[in-house]
Amino acid sequence: MATTEIPLPALPEAHEERAGLVDYLITVDHKKIGVLYIFTAFAVFLFGGVLALLFRLELAQPGMQVMGQNTYNQLFTIHGTVMVLLFAAQVSTGLGNYLMPLQIGAADVAFPRLNAMSYWLYLFGTLVLLSSFFVAGGPAASGWTAYPPLSDSKYLQGTGMDLWIIGLALAGIAAIVGAVNLVTTIFRMRVPGMTMFRMPLFTWGILVNQLIILFAFPAITAALAMLFIDRNFGAAFFDPTRGGTPVLYQHLFWFFGHPEVYIVILPMFGIISEIVPVFSRKPLFGYRAMVFAFFGIAALSFGVWAHHMFTTDAIYLPFFSLLTMLIAVPTGIKIFNWIGTMWGGSISFTTPMLCAIAFIFVFLVGGITGVFLGSTPIDFQVNDTYYVVAHFHYVMVAALLFAMFGGFYFWFPKMTGRLLSERLGKWHFWLLFIGFNVTFFVQFNLGLEGMPRRIADYPIRSWGTYNTISTVGSFVMALGILVFLWNFFVSLRRGRPAGDDPWEGNSLEWVTTSPPPHHNFHEIPEIHSERPAFDHRHRAATEADAR
Amino acid sequence: MFLVVAGLLVWSMIRYRRRGDELPPQIHGNNKLELTWTLIPLLLVIVLFVVTIQGQNKALQRSTRPALEVDVLAFQWSWRFAYEGQGVEVVGSPGNVPELVVPVGQPVRIRLRSADVVHSFYVPRTLFKRQAIPGRTTEFDLTFEKVGTYQGHCVQFCGLAHDDMLFRVRVVSPGEFRSWLAQASRSGSPSQPGT
Repeated sequence: MATTEIPLPALPEAHEERAGLVDYLITVDHKKIGVLYIFTAFAVFLFGGVLALLFRLELAQPGMQVMGQNTYNQLFTIHGTVMVLLFAAQVSTGLGNYLMPLQIGAADVAFPRLNAMSYWLYLFGTLVLLSSFFVAGGPAASGWTAYPPLSDSKYLQGTGMDLWIIGLALAGIAAIVGAVNLVTTIFRMRVPGMTMFRMPLFTWGILVNQLIILFAFPAITAALAMLFIDRNFGAAFFDPTRGGTPVLYQHLFWFFGHPEVYIVILPMFGIISEIVPVFSRKPLFGYRAMVFAFFGIAALSFGVWAHHMFTTDAIYLPFFSLLTMLIAVPTGIKIFNWIGTMWGGSISFTTPMLCAIAFIFVFLVGGITGVFLGSTPIDFQVNDTYYVVAHFHYVMVAALLFAMFGGFYFWFPKMTGRLLSERLGKWHFWLLFIGFNVTFFVQFNLGLEGMPRRIADYPIRSWGTYNTISTVGSFVMALGILVFLWNFFVSLRRGRPAGDDPWEGNSLEWVTTSPPPHHNFHEIPEIHSERPAFDHRHRAATEADAR
Repeated sequence: MFLVVAGLLVWSMIRYRRRGDELPPQIHGNNKLELTWTLIPLLLVIVLFVVTIQGQNKALQRSTRPALEVDVLAFQWSWRFAYEGQGVEVVGSPGNVPELVVPVGQPVRIRLRSADVVHSFYVPRTLFKRQAIPGRTTEFDLTFEKVGTYQGHCVQFCGLAHDDMLFRVRVVSPGEFRSWLAQASRSGSPSQPGT
């Protein structure tokens, strides 16, 4: 039995010449849009990272040396905003855009033009927000959470705050539109034979991630609209002096804000669930449990938002505490299943696999510290301190970065036809791993000692030591990122040719050429399991066994 | 927990590193094992939740007869401590750290309000903090067990000089506290510069 011809729409002769800038400006191809998303998000990441280095310099020693309070406040506000909303939530949309249609055997997404619109809205939202660096008064200095009344026009005048709102609202609409498109694609565009329970875990991750976006982003978009109206047209949604309620904003913000963590991390779980089986040469342990765990996490994520508000005295504590802790259960299932996948396998330590193992490690630290944050008496102590900063950087930065870079090393050959250098990759990996832990592990201690977050200066001189260590670590991380950039540019031109399937992959994208043709597949093998590429590769052996 | 899981991770990395080219046994899962590692974390969560509720009740417990009631007003970017019924008031400013003087070992009722934006009252030594939200009044009790001076901060970002929004708690013996209070009310409020 050979491959089955899948009816594909009649296509013009494939144009295989290199795509120029104009192609990218007018494209509706999901792969090019995916690349645009990834590049834009990565540029935002670099920018946000530079901001972080600047304020880490300020924090290295007690006293004010590098910048004033206002600049410091603006920098950490924009750092948090762009990292969480314009990088972390978007890079997975980029990877999903590129890879998901390939993984389900589709020629493109369901609504290619909507897809392009979503990207351009995101880009211009980002540019609008960043343009606030050039207006009088500079960018918003409200913290990325922008709690009113501080973010109201009475306390923060200037267009910077308004541009912040408009930029994020555009990006929010982009995310909602994009989610409609990607969810529809997964439900409607799978190739025959690709049942839901044969989809790769990365595609599942994208599905659940986009479903969460669909429910969570409207809340923040509404909150932003209300804040904008409060600021500019004198409504009083959040103004306590005229009957408004500041707590309402906190509810709306975190009703989005906590699911946002899972928007960021679920596709990363998906990436890890692709990498670990391939480099362990085993199928994913407990495939269905992994899928159910995705949905468990997604459902719980909408019932935990007020754990960010334990110290408001305006919520019922036990409910949110219990649901928060319960998230540890499906997350634990995932971690155990990854280890179960490695157990008894034949593991090779390529850069993607190293990243995946580092991911499991840092996520374990982030997850366990997170369970304790869910415990109200502990939260009363460490809420809004560096403990929280360390915790969410372990989850949102380390876990995200290791999974993302693991994904980059894993799929770069598919996207470009060339491998990234393993030697530079190992340098990149170790610098990032050591730099990250040096930067953030000491912050747990600072938090337990009571150092508040978001302060430009600290009154207790003994905190200086940990802060110096943390700043040194952040520059080691930056060095690691520079090695990655070098690796990227060198390998793009002179990297080893990868062939179609350099890693002996499992999912459908490894069957097509690297890079894939415009319409993705010339032919698609028949699908019998969640590992069509594996089956395709081993079919000869299996048939021999059968005989 | 961390050691157990990290140990399993490291063990499988070492034990199952690639040695040959043959394909390992293709195991797809094990329902019993998976059920086990669902139920054990679930039990741990339940235990932690019970402990949490006990700790929470202790942290939020309020005395029927607090020794002292202080009205704490947070504002950009300092604090005002008003001793209720005593006519004593301590007002700080960003460059002038206010001091809250309290007797040792006795429950102090804090009545917290904000004059402008959201702030948060936090003394690391008490292991407790609470947001001061404009339009709301919130109450809690703190008991300081040891004589000494403790640092306090605003921990909810509240604008330009958020990092200067400090205060100190000076815990003194009940006798010392009485004389301080008497002197402070004689010298007339608002008073009490810090440093």
